[in-house]
Amino acid sequence: MKTQPRQEEAFAPELNALLERRAARVREKPSDAGEESVLWVAEFPVGEDNYAIPLDLLRAAVPLRMVTPVPLSPPHVIGILRFQGQIVTALSLASLLGGRGWREDPAVLLVVDPGFGRLVAVDCERIPKPVGLPLKQVEDARAKATGAVAEVTLPGLRQVQLLDLRELMDRREKR
Amino acid sequence: MDPLLEQLLTGFVDESQEIYERITRNLIELENAPAQGTRFDDLARGLHTLKGSAATLGLDELADLAHRMEDAILPLRGSAQPLPPPLADAVLKSLDTWMARLRATAAKTELPDLRPALQLLTQQPAIEPAEVRRAEPAELEEPQTAEETSWRVSTRQVIALLHEVERLREVRLRLDERRRDLDKAAHQIDRLGTQVQTAEARAVLMSMRRALGSDGEEAADIVSSMEDGLKAISTMPVRTVIEPLRRAVRDLTKATGKLARLSVVGAEVSLDRRVLEQLRGPLVHLVRNAVDHGLEMPEVREKAGKYREGALTIRVEQQGNMLFIEVADDGSGIDLTRIREAALRRGVAPVEELATMTTAQMHQLIFRPGFTTRTDVTDVSGRGVGLDVVRDQVHALHGHVEVLSVPGQGTRFILTLPAELGSSPVLVVRCGEHQLGLPMAAVESSRVARARDLRVGRARVQLEHQQQLLPVQDLGALVGLRQPEAPADGQPILIVHAQGRRLALSVDEVIGDKELVIRPLPMEVRDLPAWQGAATLARGELVLILRPDFLVNLEARPESGVTGTRRALVVDDSLTARALHRTTLEAAGYTVHTAASAKQALEQLRHAAYDVMVTDIGMEEMDGFELTAAVRQRPETDGMPILLVSARDSETDRRRGASVGADGFLTKKDCVSGRLLSEVSAVIARRKGLS
Repeated sequence: MKTQPRQEEAFAPELNALLERRAARVREKPSDAGEESVLWVAEFPVGEDNYAIPLDLLRAAVPLRMVTPVPLSPPHVIGILRFQGQIVTALSLASLLGGRGWREDPAVLLVVDPGFGRLVAVDCERIPKPVGLPLKQVEDARAKATGAVAEVTLPGLRQVQLLDLRELMDRREKR
Repeated sequence: MDPLLEQLLTGFVDESQEIYERITRNLIELENAPAQGTRFDDLARGLHTLKGSAATLGLDELADLAHRMEDAILPLRGSAQPLPPPLADAVLKSLDTWMARLRATAAKTELPDLRPALQLLTQQPAIEPAEVRRAEPAELEEPQTAEETSWRVSTRQVIALLHEVERLREVRLRLDERRRDLDKAAHQIDRLGTQVQTAEARAVLMSMRRALGSDGEEAADIVSSMEDGLKAISTMPVRTVIEPLRRAVRDLTKATGKLARLSVVGAEVSLDRRVLEQLRGPLVHLVRNAVDHGLEMPEVREKAGKYREGALTIRVEQQGNMLFIEVADDGSGIDLTRIREAALRRGVAPVEELATMTTAQMHQLIFRPGFTTRTDVTDVSGRGVGLDVVRDQVHALHGHVEVLSVPGQGTRFILTLPAELGSSPVLVVRCGEHQLGLPMAAVESSRVARARDLRVGRARVQLEHQQQLLPVQDLGALVGLRQPEAPADGQPILIVHAQGRRLALSVDEVIGDKELVIRPLPMEVRDLPAWQGAATLARGELVLILRPDFLVNLEARPESGVTGTRRALVVDDSLTARALHRTTLEAAGYTVHTAASAKQALEQLRHAAYDVMVTDIGMEEMDGFELTAAVRQRPETDGMPILLVSARDSETDRRRGASVGADGFLTKKDCVSGRLLSEVSAVIARRKGLS
């Protein structure tokens, strides 16, 4: 089976190669890290805050283009796009989170598998970076969390909002 | 079990299932027709084949039971009377047991007891043989067997081939696109003159164009023949799934005391086997639901002026690569009062929410898990398991299900599913920045608007078309992109029809017709009533395909731009920024229209008034400052409140904004819900203060 993207979805070759390198870098876990004690996440900014999703859910980071807006759709839907032969919905993360500000117009879509058998894409301002969050802090944050966001406090009091995308989307659908 | 026998058994189960369905159909028909003719012969042949094949495989008990069924039926051959219902019942039940036993044997699970079936057949009163000649089953023509030289191909391999055909179709579309590019290049060369050098280049281009044209045609032929071949392999008639439903209707009407006749339209349509297999459950449920919940008792129907016998209809229609299946009954319709009571009883929704629900929203409640209007549980229904499963299964097939119901007249469930093969002719049009597709089947003709043919009233616009007055709708307004506009002189108009209604639809541009593969939308937007799906255009971009019934059902559509609400125009070249502003403003009660460029915003402002404009500064061609200045120069918009939004916080930008006439300035990072809304309110107030 061919693994290269179809021509019509392909971006310029050099851009494709760049994205491929970035995706590989994001997926790559540093070898010296203690695998058992951290949760690997993709961290990215939304406005003034740093958000993260578990790395396992990330399928690709692609430029935010070739998105077709869907008139009459809920406001958190940016549009639809083709990804590896599938039609995928692109969602505004800031809108899902209830309308946050942003520093620069999102230029990247993260294609993720939230765990209900289909892919969705969410926007973010920059290509995410892989970060290992200490499992202990993650578990503590998740225990305290009441919604789709668990606030993980890292050494140095840096905070990362760990997203449960499935919960976030479920809540939006129930509204 | 012997591996060879195991393999043979699998094939025998499939073969028997087909025979089982045929016998069932014949038995039901012969309950109402004389027990003679080809139908009776086919029934006898089927039982005989079951007996013979079972004996060949050493399944003696099954051979014996088939033999007993033959014995019960054959004495009636040639009779002028229909099959006695108790006998038909006994054979149908025995047949069920026979099939269940065969399946259990193949699956190596616990075998059902054959004795009750045998006993049932034995209890049938002896029948004197009819006087007409009775052919021995041995003399009957054997059914045709499948060709011996067949291959076993896995479903996965067939699906992979289907996808390749789809890719090939897209390649063909791209070839067309390349040919158009060549035309453009040739045109450019023409403009340079007719020098010798360009003539040569032009000749090369023309030759390439011809070659591409011929390659495109050949690719189209290949796509077409591959599709035909794959269709033959991977599809079977819908009849195979629908015919067994006659049995379900028969049994259910007997159990409930109701009368019903099932009519099927389009049973010959061939569909993907996997789709059919997964449709079996939903269809059984919908038909059972129609008999149990939909149809009234004969005496009630009579009192209501209806035939005693209820009408159930299954209509199957394939349009391009979209499949429509309708299950309809002419019963009492969905009782909204009972739905409301059940919803309250089961805590599905609070009273206040139920009070504000539209009829369509109330109808949707029946698809909620655990929802039932029954307070008692019967063999047929009341467990609240069913319509949610129907919806889930249809969703799993990338389709959607709708329900339409009229009190006293009946209910229609419409399943829309994508078919794996085939393409649909689509007319692509432009509306603002959007390209949208309309199934050609719904487009009657196209023309241009002429002022003399338009009747522009205060509340509506009509078009005189072929001595008829048709309502005119602006497609952009229908899909919420802008305020409704009366068509300008020369603007393209499409005459669209669906569900027996006609409409004149004004669009900004007709781009052209294309053969496209319509794919279902993802779950997040699949239930939007405006869209049938999306298709890929030659350059890889997606185009949304409209649903014709959405366009013509003016009264069923939610109001867009309700009078009295505040209207905001958001101008930003970033899709996400537009989505974010829309989220915030709509939540605050604004009707929001968006524009992706300043030029487009000016166009929208030419036709509609807004209470506020929120515009980005950094846009290509014309930035937010220039847009603001242009808006201020127009008398009709010079007093409109304008809020500039920028990615950078710069004092220079703030000052420049104020100098061109903006009423406020906000950075994108400040666009948290409260700040954007408070700033929007502030600029509106400031403008009012000025006036």
